[in-house]
Amino acid sequence: MSRSRHFLCFSLCLGGIARAQETPASGEAIYAKHCAECHGDKGQGVPDECEDPLQGDRPLTSLARYIDRKMPEDKPDEIDAEESQRVAEFIYGAFYSPEARAKTASRKLAFSRLTNRQFRESVADLLGSFGEAPAPGDGRGLKARYFQSDGMNKKTKMVFEREDVSLNFDFAENSPGNGISPDQFSIDWEGSLLAPATGWYEFKLSTPNGVRLYINGEREKGDGNQRDDSSAKRQPALIDAWVSSGNTVREISTRIFLLGGRSYPFRLDYFKFKEPSGSVRLDWKPPGAVWQVLAAPYLSPSATAHVAVVSSAFPPDDASEGYEQGTGISKAWLEAVTASASEVANEVVSRLPRLSEAKDGDPQRVEKLKQFVAMFAGRAFRRPLDEEQRKNLIDGVFTEGIGPEQAVKRAVLAILQSPRFLYPEVGSQKDDFTVATRLAQGAWDSLPDKQLLAAAGGGKLRTEDQVAAQARRMMSDPRTKVKLAGFFEHWLKLDMEADLLKDPESFPGFDVALVADLRRSLETFVERVVWSEKSDYRELMQADYLLLNDQLAKFYDVPMPDGGGFQKVNLDSAQRSGVVTHPYLLARLAHYKQTSPILRGVFITRNLLGGILKPPPKAISFEEGHFDPALTTREKVVQMTRNTSCMTCHETINPLGFSLENFDAVGRFRLTDNARPIDPESDFENFDGGRTHLRGPRDLAQQAIESVTARRGFVRQLFQAVIKQNPGVYGVGTLKRLETAFTVSGYNIRELLVAIDTLAALQGFREPDPSEP
Amino acid sequence: MNVHTRRQFLRQLGLSAAALPFLPTLPSLAKSAADVKSQRIIFLFTPNGTIAPEFWPDETGPDFKLKRILTPLEAFKGRLMTLNGVCNKVRGDGDGHMRGISCLLTADELLPGNIQGGSDKPAGWARNISIDQEIRNFLQARPETATRFGSLELGVAVPNRADPWTREAYAGPNQPLAPLSDPYAMFDKLYGQIKDRENLGSVLDHVRDDLRTISAHVDPEEKALLDQHATFVREMEQDLQSAVTKNLLFPPPLLEPGVALDNDGIPKISTMQADLLVSAFANGMARVATLQYTSSVGQARMRWLDIHEEHHALSHEPDSNQEAQEKLVKINVWLCEQLAYLARKLDGIPEPGGEGTMLDNTTIVWTNELGKGNSHSLDNIPFVLVGGGLGFKTGQAMKFGGVTHNRLWLSIAHAFGHHLATFGHQRLSEGGALALS
Repeated sequence: MSRSRHFLCFSLCLGGIARAQETPASGEAIYAKHCAECHGDKGQGVPDECEDPLQGDRPLTSLARYIDRKMPEDKPDEIDAEESQRVAEFIYGAFYSPEARAKTASRKLAFSRLTNRQFRESVADLLGSFGEAPAPGDGRGLKARYFQSDGMNKKTKMVFEREDVSLNFDFAENSPGNGISPDQFSIDWEGSLLAPATGWYEFKLSTPNGVRLYINGEREKGDGNQRDDSSAKRQPALIDAWVSSGNTVREISTRIFLLGGRSYPFRLDYFKFKEPSGSVRLDWKPPGAVWQVLAAPYLSPSATAHVAVVSSAFPPDDASEGYEQGTGISKAWLEAVTASASEVANEVVSRLPRLSEAKDGDPQRVEKLKQFVAMFAGRAFRRPLDEEQRKNLIDGVFTEGIGPEQAVKRAVLAILQSPRFLYPEVGSQKDDFTVATRLAQGAWDSLPDKQLLAAAGGGKLRTEDQVAAQARRMMSDPRTKVKLAGFFEHWLKLDMEADLLKDPESFPGFDVALVADLRRSLETFVERVVWSEKSDYRELMQADYLLLNDQLAKFYDVPMPDGGGFQKVNLDSAQRSGVVTHPYLLARLAHYKQTSPILRGVFITRNLLGGILKPPPKAISFEEGHFDPALTTREKVVQMTRNTSCMTCHETINPLGFSLENFDAVGRFRLTDNARPIDPESDFENFDGGRTHLRGPRDLAQQAIESVTARRGFVRQLFQAVIKQNPGVYGVGTLKRLETAFTVSGYNIRELLVAIDTLAALQGFREPDPSEP
Repeated sequence: MNVHTRRQFLRQLGLSAAALPFLPTLPSLAKSAADVKSQRIIFLFTPNGTIAPEFWPDETGPDFKLKRILTPLEAFKGRLMTLNGVCNKVRGDGDGHMRGISCLLTADELLPGNIQGGSDKPAGWARNISIDQEIRNFLQARPETATRFGSLELGVAVPNRADPWTREAYAGPNQPLAPLSDPYAMFDKLYGQIKDRENLGSVLDHVRDDLRTISAHVDPEEKALLDQHATFVREMEQDLQSAVTKNLLFPPPLLEPGVALDNDGIPKISTMQADLLVSAFANGMARVATLQYTSSVGQARMRWLDIHEEHHALSHEPDSNQEAQEKLVKINVWLCEQLAYLARKLDGIPEPGGEGTMLDNTTIVWTNELGKGNSHSLDNIPFVLVGGGLGFKTGQAMKFGGVTHNRLWLSIAHAFGHHLATFGHQRLSEGGALALS
């Protein structure tokens, strides 16, 4: 591919045309004369000139320097350094800085519905709250029991029990183990499936023998009864391939929607009866991953409970600000809610005896069902019902001529479509249950659990310490892990849907399987760092190792790790430094054949250094043919962006991107580009108002750690992703306060999350901090 | 069309019933193709053979008397025919019971497999499509005879396991179809959309009230979103009301709630399934059905007849065991009563858009896995045809003297205009369709 497309020109929106004037007295006057024409009298922007409002996060010193060098656009000599300083002070204080904006901005939280993820998580936990909730087990394999069979009786004798790590067995014409005859035997594998992500999972079962597969079912008395002629009630199988017809290998496929971070009951029953050969293999394809044999770490021998999964499709949430928000509604959304409510109502009715503990034939059954409905509503609404609500709901559905099951169905439909469920903060009532609701939303995207509701009911969510203690307790729940993983996936571009494809001639071996391993490598690295004791952000930036498996080590030509799977491989610390040099990210931020200093530079500016870039005024395609073929990529980029209007942004983007030029389009270290030595060094006007000489990735990482703008940027991104509100709403000093605490805690990411959750939960309940500017 | 019934039905559904945009609407069945005679067929399966002396009429031809087991069909004597001497001659792998049910409608050998019967070689699924599905596909391929489901597979107390002893219908080789034994699930399948609409309609009022109450106490930004929400709810209600249920000709049956789906529930389940089947036919949802009572080796304990042994166990008793024979006759009389109930039900409804009653356009084929239980014979299967769906010459007792049942299925296919040369096993199809007209 000789052409690549990318965005060339970004604008910080400080451009403008001004007339030569006498030196004015004040910053305000300078602004009026030189800037207002393009930026508007209050920095609000002017159509067809600079449309975006004049707002940003640069410190004052940086802003002044920038104006001095660049403004007015095309005629920067019209105002000198001192005038630039004065006008910068005016702009900064009047409307540019976050503090200035906060003075005029609304202090009100955005009123939101549940996001799609929050809806699904809330439903799962709502139904899950009526039953046991076993802790998820280790992902070390399944419990396996091996039996000798005799004709119809598949379980004449259990011969041995063990744990199996992978579901791929080829017994051929042999016995599966000592004490079992090769012609007749059966095996059952039992435990749970650990789903790594939310979405559709595909399964493919291959066997010439008899197999039944059960996922996310509920235990029945006849489970495990493998007599051919038994009619004992078993849970419905996801795949029933019990009868084989001929000894050929059959492939049976199916798919199922699962929520990530949860464990699902899993069972596989297998038997061989006098067929010439025996084998069984279960492959799966998790969302966004490749086909693979189902194996540890996604299988656990521990038992677990059924999860209520809503599989109805929702229209996507608004993610225009970089994180999913529920600030708007549409008819399509309401229809999806209705379809989901029907799905859940049907599930509730079909599982009613288990959920409600009201058995068929119980004379108190209707009373118990009413009780159940009231509890269901209370948990869904995140606070106990008052008498009137209870009466309205119960009397509304348990009416003359409507059977109790149908009444329950109508109640569930009404509850899940109620604004009290769909809008977590609906209504004027703000109390302890509001705090519990916010904590649960922040940590889990879900409903408060019993402990939170009890704490709210007991008035124990009043002080910052009490709330922080709950937030800290909730951190250990796997749901937090998944939520946090979701943030990092987005932050590190792991959630991009486009295939990561490279030119197979230039990069042989860089195939789908390798990309899947790369993703896993980065995900695992982030997970280990975040959930290690120190949870240190600096390790994310500065680690001089990668987690690699054999395939990756081979491709990247580094020593093979010992121990199998993903292992730590130490690398030259001058070359690699944390996520910014992870080959997944380097490859993601590159073209089909060539690197892209621009994609890399934009990512570093926005995601790692807390910079704000406006979209480019126009997209220019990168035509390889336009350049002298002898040029390096760096030289081409310089040539392409040298125009002044480009350079307003590219003076930031380019040096950052150039510092990673030692990594090719698949993230391998290199010393030459186009047969010429690589120069990764540049000077960079940093966002704290200084100038930094960048020599390579380690200097980038240093910036991400030492720059206060960078740290605040990280805090802001995490805050928005987790709370789904703008931090400014929580007060002018919010980010600064959180950033300070983050730095003092030793850059502890989990403690930062606790601080964010606590702060958001108590919003409006605390007296405003008088020390705030 | 029965206008009176339809009006009543719409009234019954009231204002709350309607269609949602995201739910596929029920297909129109007002295809009043009066020029084409509707033809429907039901294969009714019962297990464990019959008691021949109490089943087969002694006479042949139109002048015959019904024996005890068939007495429940007395009212339909002129509209039925008994077919003695039709045999399931399919051999190969699998025991008699497996072949008895899985080769009944498929008329070919089972595939080799891993399911071990009493003594014979293990077997797998059928290797051929079943005749009901063959006819279904034929009808579905033509717009004038296509229906929403094509066929329905209903069961009464079919054991909860999938193997060659429990399946009679096959969509193709190696593709068994599971009969639905839960009348409530069958109701959902047929009418769930309507019920969902009713339920939704009834709760949207709540939702709107709730929105009103809350909106009264909130700030403008919040109110704006909630008002928008209320608008969408109102639109949804209007969608529900405007679609109404113009597609249904007959009301769904009212099922007794809370019937336990166990052995003792069988009489009620049987009635419910028959009601559902007839209403589905009346509403033009299908033209083909199988209704399967238990399975081969059926083990129902008909305590409601004061019989406490399992049906299959009783069927093993020798002919000399008078008590067992008497019980088996009673069991078969009861099964015949179920058939009679179905026939009466069909006969009680005028043919929608056509002549006569629905029974005049429907044939019920009573089948059995075996001829005789204690010998496990697949000969002389007690075939009875009731109703006028196929234009056969009813009102007679016929004797064929040992023909294959492949030929009976050919006759039935031909009656639908589907002129197959063979069905199932090639050699067993020799001789072609039986003359039944």
